[in-house]
Amino acid sequence: MASPQILVGMADLQVTDKPALFNCLGLGSCIGLVGLDRSSGIAGMVHIMLPEAFKDKPVDKPGKFADTGIAELFAKLEAAGANKSRIAYAYAGGAQVFKFGSSADTRMDVGLRNIRAVEEILAGFGIKPVAFDVGGSSGRTVTVDTVSGIVKVRTVVSGEKVLCNLKELRAVAA
Amino acid sequence: MADNSNSLGLLQSSAVKELANIGLGNAMTALSNLTGRYFDMTVPNIDTVNLDQIPELIDDPMGVSVGIYMPVEGDVCGHMAFLWPWSAGTSIWKMLVGSAPETPEGIDELYASTTLEIGNIIGSSFLNAISDMASLKLHATPPLFSLDHTASICSSVVAEAQLSEVTALFIETEIFEIENEASDVRGFFLFIPNKDGLDRIFDNLGIREAA
Repeated sequence: MASPQILVGMADLQVTDKPALFNCLGLGSCIGLVGLDRSSGIAGMVHIMLPEAFKDKPVDKPGKFADTGIAELFAKLEAAGANKSRIAYAYAGGAQVFKFGSSADTRMDVGLRNIRAVEEILAGFGIKPVAFDVGGSSGRTVTVDTVSGIVKVRTVVSGEKVLCNLKELRAVAA
Repeated sequence: MADNSNSLGLLQSSAVKELANIGLGNAMTALSNLTGRYFDMTVPNIDTVNLDQIPELIDDPMGVSVGIYMPVEGDVCGHMAFLWPWSAGTSIWKMLVGSAPETPEGIDELYASTTLEIGNIIGSSFLNAISDMASLKLHATPPLFSLDHTASICSSVVAEAQLSEVTALFIETEIFEIENEASDVRGFFLFIPNKDGLDRIFDNLGIREAA
């Protein structure tokens, strides 16, 4: 039987210790980051919308921002019983979907800022992701099978492709 | 948080509906003048929504949409976006250009500039209506457009708007060419004024309701 699907909507953060199929759909400038404990199968995914939380506003959903979202993902994975040293990470997103129009490449840079934030935060924790697929002008939908560890990315232009296998720590060449 | 109370009073909601009808009605007149065909538009539904709720309002998140995005500047700043399903996009291109691309990859300069021009017309007409009625100056900046999964377009607009705003006007639209039943184009229009922007508009209309 197929694992139940868990939708990871905008600014959502989901963690599960049961077999599941994460579905993070419609990542335009947003980034979907997944972590999977390779032996216990405990996994979590966050749908990040913005690089950092506002200093002057309370954080309503930690998953919305790269800084609070990644910290919360780590905390929730460990709280669920995942072993930090066995968690494999992958992420995708950060596109600029509005590719037509005057100076389209420079006017909306949330995607780019999200990519930089996720890169820097993960590097700061000494984490090297198994694979990532970022930037460009196509929105992505990311699915993660927590049983096989396979991460797939789907776009309008290229259809669905396997990005990596988190269990085997293996990136699939594009 | 007060930010979450988005519901409009009765007076405000009818004023917003009126604004949308007049604004988008002006847009259809402009589109008709441009094409020599007669277009009309209805607004079956309009609501203020929290930005986080927008994805829940989309019927088919993985469907491909034509999305036009325009930042708004002037007395009230903010964002505007207009989305049609791909099938509606192809009918619009067929009406305006005489042909349509088979797939999203088939978009060329002609289709792109046509789409951007429609964005300009609809956006400016909508903002002009608000400007006239509320005695404020709102103007559109050059549009951008995207062909992608509806959810990707929406989340990108919402992320951009999240930097400063919490509430959007979600306006369902139906565009149709009169005398052509098959030309029905369903889409939706998002108007996301900056924080306090809606209040400013209501103030100027003299219908701000006591909190």
